[in-house]
Amino acid sequence: MSYFLFIVKSAFEDFRRSKMQTFLTSLGILIGVFAVVTLTAMGLGLKKYISDQFDSLGTNTLFVAPGKLLQGGGFGESSLLGNRFDLKDLNRLKRVRSIKSITPLSSKSGTAKGAKDSEFSTIFFSSEAFFDISGFEIDKGRFLDKRDIDKRAKVLVAGPKIAEKLFGTISEAIDKKVTIDNVSFTIIGVIKSKGGGGFGGPDYDSYFFGPYTTGFIFDPDKKFIRFAMKTDENINISSVKEEVKDAMLKRYKDDEFSIVEPTEILSVVNGIFGIMNIVLVAIASISLLVGGIGIMNIMYVTVSDKTKEVGIRRAIGARKNDILFQFIVEAVALSILGGALGLGLAYAGILLVQPFFPAYMDVTSVALALGVSSVIGIIFGVLPARKAANLEPVEAIRYE
Amino acid sequence: MIKLDKVVKSYKIDEETTFYALKESSVEINEREFVSIIGPSGSGKSTLMHLIGLLDKPTSGEIIVQGRKISQLNDDQVSSLRNEFIGFVFQQFNLIPKLTVLENILLPSFYARKKLEYDPREKAMGLIKRFGLEGKEKSYPNKISGGQQQRVAILRALIMEPKMILADEPTGNLDSKTGGEIMEMLKELNEDEKITIAIVTHEADIAKYGKRAIHVKDGAVVK
Repeated sequence: MSYFLFIVKSAFEDFRRSKMQTFLTSLGILIGVFAVVTLTAMGLGLKKYISDQFDSLGTNTLFVAPGKLLQGGGFGESSLLGNRFDLKDLNRLKRVRSIKSITPLSSKSGTAKGAKDSEFSTIFFSSEAFFDISGFEIDKGRFLDKRDIDKRAKVLVAGPKIAEKLFGTISEAIDKKVTIDNVSFTIIGVIKSKGGGGFGGPDYDSYFFGPYTTGFIFDPDKKFIRFAMKTDENINISSVKEEVKDAMLKRYKDDEFSIVEPTEILSVVNGIFGIMNIVLVAIASISLLVGGIGIMNIMYVTVSDKTKEVGIRRAIGARKNDILFQFIVEAVALSILGGALGLGLAYAGILLVQPFFPAYMDVTSVALALGVSSVIGIIFGVLPARKAANLEPVEAIRYE
Repeated sequence: MIKLDKVVKSYKIDEETTFYALKESSVEINEREFVSIIGPSGSGKSTLMHLIGLLDKPTSGEIIVQGRKISQLNDDQVSSLRNEFIGFVFQQFNLIPKLTVLENILLPSFYARKKLEYDPREKAMGLIKRFGLEGKEKSYPNKISGGQQQRVAILRALIMEPKMILADEPTGNLDSKTGGEIMEMLKELNEDEKITIAIVTHEADIAKYGKRAIHVKDGAVVK
């Protein structure tokens, strides 16, 4: 048995002999690690969820939105209000050759009444291209097509969640009528679930999708909130951006519209989560600090308790560094014990919330939790350990 | 083998008062000797023992171990010397309660800096067998008798094959029969293994085991 294993074993023998004290001492680290791991898991999960939403859009997608959407690493002030676009803009953008497909987008929210139930919902009005751009797949029935747009047909494609809510089952919803704001629509299809919803990204499963021409019923001004477009995959996206910009500049000032790639939105989202993570970790670090001080305190007590033992070990040949090492290992073991328990608890907690929240624990946070607890053990163990190492052998062995 | 040359141990109590735990004394212990250090309690014999055992440093004078001046060695070198050269046996046994009998015996070997020419575990098992502690290897010290604990302490002192065993009142916590057994064990080690033995005691019966006596009285060696 190596010396290292031997002192780890005897540290755990100490813990076994005073279970309650050991548990209470490592409690601070336990709570700290639990907090750090759980909070970062939630942040990570949320971030991954949002990234996945944008990933499904593909790399060759562009949005044109009113106002300055992304400014200085954040969302601009006029991104939600500001100018709204019209059919003239749509026709102008349609003439940009490198754009493969384009859809205008507008929306209408209201209470949707189905055969079984009613629910507050939102209709996205778009062209048939929207389904391709957003990467939707059909489950039952069909998507919107060009004829629906041309005929201003009162038809809707439903998300699976809202279809089930209003009609009981997805199959039941097909060809049924749904009424929103006294306008009656026929459901022609239900899309496959995009999953999630509720946090950050749009919950497509609870939306309806209708022809943008039909949307004019609710908006006599015939305005759109944004355009979404897919470009030719072989063409450099920044050159397409330039073309779109030129087209838009013919009518609008530079600061009245934004051309955004999903990856840009993603980097803003990442930035926000980066800051959020730092704040969370900073808060949780306070509890780790308190935990560390707890360990330091108990290690000082341990050094007093073990003065005689130190004396014996010194008498039979232990060097100062052997004693130093022994007490640091004990502090680190105590700290890692707390860290491992905190990690276990966090894992259980994450499994528990996963049905409701996209929490996600990665290897980095596990490594970080254990790494941080070891470092805390070393930092807060070194002073008491030095006290032990510097005891005079003759005084230590006389100690009762 | 070990020589204390004009050694003084004193403590400054305040600016004007100095307490002499050991006044200027010179002592020499030779190889294969069995020496008793005798004196009443408070005479300074513990201080002398701590100096011989390299647990304490003299205020003045020099300790020479096998020709090496201790004052010229650093703390690590002195630790290694304690580890390899001296085996300690104490009145209160001083075993580590959370370690088993076998682990206690092996403990000095964990601190060894030199490469041992034998397997310490094998050696420990051999010693356990030889000195009648078989079956107690995995016991903790509080589960065995005082006499057995002191035997474990002697085996711990033997594991590094030291030149000298330094025993401080080794029978002080034992009844006379068990004490006699322990003294016989030390005698056997001196005669068969040629290990130098120095025992510190205030009992004349125990001191008789020594072939030479060093008398300590009122903080000084009086011969």
